Amino acid sequence: MFKKLIEESTAKSPWLFHINAGSCNGCDIELVSVLTPRYDAERLGFKLTGTPRHADIVVVTGPVTSQSLPRVLRAISQVPEPRCIVTMGSCPQSGNVFRGSYSVAGPLSKYVHVDVDVAGCAPKPEAVIDGLALATQILKEKRAKK
Amino acid sequence: MDLPFVKEAISQLFSKTSCAMYPAVPSEAAPGYRGRIVYHPDRCIACGMCERVCSGNAITRTVEKVEEGDKITLTFNLGSCTFCATCADFCSKDAIELTGDYHMVATKEEDLLVSGTFIKKPPVKKAPAAAPKADAAAKPGTEPDAPGCSIAPRDDGKPVCDKTKCVYCTLCAKKCPQGAIEVDRAEKTWNCDYEACVACGVCATVCPKKAIEM
Repeated sequence: MFKKLIEESTAKSPWLFHINAGSCNGCDIELVSVLTPRYDAERLGFKLTGTPRHADIVVVTGPVTSQSLPRVLRAISQVPEPRCIVTMGSCPQSGNVFRGSYSVAGPLSKYVHVDVDVAGCAPKPEAVIDGLALATQILKEKRAKK
Repeated sequence: MDLPFVKEAISQLFSKTSCAMYPAVPSEAAPGYRGRIVYHPDRCIACGMCERVCSGNAITRTVEKVEEGDKITLTFNLGSCTFCATCADFCSKDAIELTGDYHMVATKEEDLLVSGTFIKKPPVKKAPAAAPKADAAAKPGTEPDAPGCSIAPRDDGKPVCDKTKCVYCTLCAKKCPQGAIEVDRAEKTWNCDYEACVACGVCATVCPKKAIEM
């Protein structure tokens, strides 16, 4: 019974962990604006957490530079299953303007399975909320499968 | 007992929220917002300018030979786009449009592709296009030394150079997305490969002396 209660409450409040993989800071600012009072994603249950071990949703920004790649993979591997990986902005999906650079190891989908892509450069906070809502649904499906 | 902020707290309790209640209250992007790309293949002439100016390599063009001509497909990868709108600015036919639609959320990468296809007919098949073919064949001998006939505009909308105005600055050759124009500064010649030319009008726009007529 307790397990069911815990599962129901975790489904309602997915916690976010944000990884900056060499981002230009544009997407990071948009993510912060999603969580601060104007858009206030906390009213939908999303909460930013400081450690990957507490997280359900991982938000990755930036083109995944070769310096950040081992750290990104290590942080993602610490997130407990079921987890949902959201790429924010064009960079982690394709490299965007940094594509082909000697120090860019992306796209992220080469290394881990990406669940949701939020396109934009940088995406509007509304689009980020849409993406997080979709990630919550995917998370729910993953939990049901388990 | 003095309770600070009680009045403020009670008044805030019954006041309107300062949040943008987004999923419940839909919101429109600000005017001029650059969101999802809409491509109009019916206006496109496949000059390749958008592909050339794209900083994120988001635009790919594939050419496929079919019976009626060349089947040209332009694909815009929104997952690689910076939404700078340079492609739309450079498009001389206004075939690319950036809309205010910002809902670009996908679970598969294919969902972020915007593409359009059109068939470009070869100039040989059309009746008015018979003239440029002959013109192009006669070009090497006639163009440089016959400035009189080159000022008359062509009926297919392709560029002609007024040799009296031209200063052979080579700007048109540099700007031509097809590389169809060849200008020799020393020899003072201006030649256009009319088979490669797509009549986009960039050369006429950039010409500082307005020597090119379409």
